[in-house]
Amino acid sequence: MSSTPPATPAATPASTPTAAGGSPAMQSRHLSVWFGKRKVLEDVNISFPANTCTALIGPSGCGKSTYIRTLNRLHELIPGAGLAGDVLHNGRDIYARDVDPVTVRLAIGMVFQKPNPFPSMTIRGNVLSGLKLSGMKRPNHDEIVEDTLRKAGLWNEVKDRLSHAAGELSGGQAQRLVIARALAVQPQVLLMDEPCSALDPASTLKIEETIRELAESITIIIVTHNMQQATRVSDYTAFFLAAENEPGIVVEQGATTEIFSNPQDPRTLDYVNGRFG
Amino acid sequence: MTAHAETILPPRPPAPQQSAGRPWARRGPGFRLAVLLGTILPPVPVIAALLYTDWPPVTIFVAIYLPLQLIAACAAAISQRGTRAAGDAVIIVLAIGATLLAVIVLGSILSTIAIRGYQAMSVAFLTQNTLYISPSTPLGYGGVGAAVLGTFIIVALATVITVPIGIATAVYVTEVRGRAVPYVRFFVQAMSGVPSVVAGLFILVVLILSGALAYSALAGALAYSILMLPTVARTAEEVLKLVPEELRTGALALGSTRARVVGQVVLPAARTGIVTATILGIARVVGETAPLLLTSLSNDRTIINPVGNPIASLPVFIFDKVSLPFPDAVARAWGAALVLMVIVAILFTAARLLSARRFAKS
Repeated sequence: MSSTPPATPAATPASTPTAAGGSPAMQSRHLSVWFGKRKVLEDVNISFPANTCTALIGPSGCGKSTYIRTLNRLHELIPGAGLAGDVLHNGRDIYARDVDPVTVRLAIGMVFQKPNPFPSMTIRGNVLSGLKLSGMKRPNHDEIVEDTLRKAGLWNEVKDRLSHAAGELSGGQAQRLVIARALAVQPQVLLMDEPCSALDPASTLKIEETIRELAESITIIIVTHNMQQATRVSDYTAFFLAAENEPGIVVEQGATTEIFSNPQDPRTLDYVNGRFG
Repeated sequence: MTAHAETILPPRPPAPQQSAGRPWARRGPGFRLAVLLGTILPPVPVIAALLYTDWPPVTIFVAIYLPLQLIAACAAAISQRGTRAAGDAVIIVLAIGATLLAVIVLGSILSTIAIRGYQAMSVAFLTQNTLYISPSTPLGYGGVGAAVLGTFIIVALATVITVPIGIATAVYVTEVRGRAVPYVRFFVQAMSGVPSVVAGLFILVVLILSGALAYSALAGALAYSILMLPTVARTAEEVLKLVPEELRTGALALGSTRARVVGQVVLPAARTGIVTATILGIARVVGETAPLLLTSLSNDRTIINPVGNPIASLPVFIFDKVSLPFPDAVARAWGAALVLMVIVAILFTAARLLSARRFAKS
């Protein structure tokens, strides 16, 4: 499989966040992605420095969600999925032949756009489900439950009904439960695919605070359609764009303040000012 | 921003006293008259036919009542809402009529079994075996006790054999998604068309005549399993497909192995449906007669040992007794049919309650 050169010279690897210092916690190099014969992403090079938050922005259908799913090997579960290039986690290729996808996903957690609590488990059971499902041993389950639920901003609402079914939570509460669940297995990297699109403004604010706090100790990569959210929570931003019937590319990336205040590419300028997308 | 507490609102005028009504249900006298005539007129010739002819009720219903009711409903609809309403009237009458027909047929089967079967009912009938009676012995001695026990043993064995295999098949098709999925599904589909007598013949030839098994409850259970497996596997497959894909990816994203995704997320999420799949499988076989005639035969004694000897069962009991030329033996067959029906009803009700409670708990 030969990978074609970038469709546009506007992707400037020189301005990758790595330049800002620190070795990247995650990195994709010359990553191209296919669904069947259709190429959906082309030559994506992004570095995610450790203990920072990076926002992936861009219009619908440009491949952001597909990209984020390649970072913890969920992409390969889709029939017909294809991939070329490397994804490095702490300098190791997560697609190397001897790497078990289960250990990759344990270290690189994910929160999805649609809340997906396990309906057959209680609220408490959901928080601890990652430990049970992965076989991870951690003491003091009560502490983990309270700590992670507090971090996700849900503790006060559910502390008196931890043994109730998770199905009785509202959509916003369920999403925060899912975030608590992802934190309970102590991931080094947390992928978030539009985590706030189902939340009310108050919950969104709480989650954004949580992201800022978490970014002190883990690496967060968040897909968002909300430009204000990107400026509020992220240190770095990568702008994805796909022309009609062409694979998505990274048009521009760099420090969030730069991308939003002084973008180099006119398409980025138009997008962050809400002129398309 | 000013605080809301400082704002002084003018006092609110008192709301008028109101009670909930249904303004959309108001009808004029013409409408009431049309409905009244359309409802009362069609049954008149039906009552006349019931009184003065000896046609069966179903014939009267289909040949007289339905056409008249169709005409009456159309006339009423057209007189009130114009010709476009005739289509509505036809659809409604046909839907209600078809439902009534189904209910009448089912109801007459159930009531016949209940009335005829009731004559045989007694404590002795429900608890005794048929060891000390001859076909002509009057009612009050001997009964279906041994046959009920036998049916329970055979069905329980068949369930224990079939349900794990059926769930495993469904898991292979929906969760493992291996290369053989199309062949497995085709095979399961084909199996659901196996005539029950063939299932019995298969066990007879392969296991009993070869000497591997005696005529017994186990042989009958194996024949039942062949019939039960497609139902359980296909229903379980449909149920597992209903489990949202997000739950699987969610569990995988937490570092779960595929086995744990199935065991701790997918199957628990689908457990209500799996109970239903099991019940449907049992309901599929519990009245099957042909396989048991060839494998478990029948027995006048009460048998508990599932492997050593032939065993009585309700379907075979009915088959045996209904073909005898003695009225009391035929009455016993009706009694056994009633018992079988009640067992099926209890099973279904229990399954509904069980799954409802489990669902509420989760």
